Amino acid sequence: MAAPVIAYKFLDEGRVAPFTRYRWPEGEWVETPAAVPCEAGIHACRVADLPFWLGRELWEVELDGDVIAFERKVVAPRGRLTRRVEEWNRSLADEFAAALLVHTRRRFGSVPVLSGFVGDIAQFRATNRVPLAGFAAARAAELAGGPRAYEEERLRQAHWLADRLALGEH
Amino acid sequence: MRLDRELTCAQLVEVITDYLEGALAPVDVERVEEHLVFCDGCTTYLEQMRATVAMAGRLRAEDIPPELQERLLGTFREWRRL
Repeated sequence: MAAPVIAYKFLDEGRVAPFTRYRWPEGEWVETPAAVPCEAGIHACRVADLPFWLGRELWEVELDGDVIAFERKVVAPRGRLTRRVEEWNRSLADEFAAALLVHTRRRFGSVPVLSGFVGDIAQFRATNRVPLAGFAAARAAELAGGPRAYEEERLRQAHWLADRLALGEH
Repeated sequence: MRLDRELTCAQLVEVITDYLEGALAPVDVERVEEHLVFCDGCTTYLEQMRATVAMAGRLRAEDIPPELQERLLGTFREWRRL
């Protein structure tokens, strides 16, 4: 029997899925007839996927059945929320944005054109648009170093989150 | 269709109907939703489109007064000539 797969889900306030508006129960298995990426099934993040899907609440989710790995998510036919990651809150989200700002300033603060991203990220942080701050930091990296640099910056963000949230690699 | 890895807002607007109708390939759905995570403007646009579809879906042809039907058809005919 395969070991359970632990992954993560960002949800809106009240355990509501951001795209389907499904309100997740806590601790109960949710089953779907099939797992098809972006169509059906329980969708969740690996640690490396976290920066792409930031939301209000972060939950640990246990997946069961055949787990399909997609580009920036995993999908399974069954899943249940096992615990809320309480450490992900507005305060830590702001710390994340602050870290993005420091990192981007250090790398590109004196680089023509790219230095503009520093001001953008400061503004996104000030207006609580943390996902956009993460995207802007990755875009700055991409403009400097190409698509691979975008992915590397996103991975760096994922490691920051995993470290601060004490999440395991799955 | 395979959308760019990073969608612009203009590209998202072009595919929003396909997204709502479930007509996009999974990889493109992922790109749309990835964009929606950080783009408040497109999220608002999506919500407006959903509301429009819900309201328009309740309309029957007989709910529209004949004179309004004529005006709408005239507008659409003119539109096609542009």
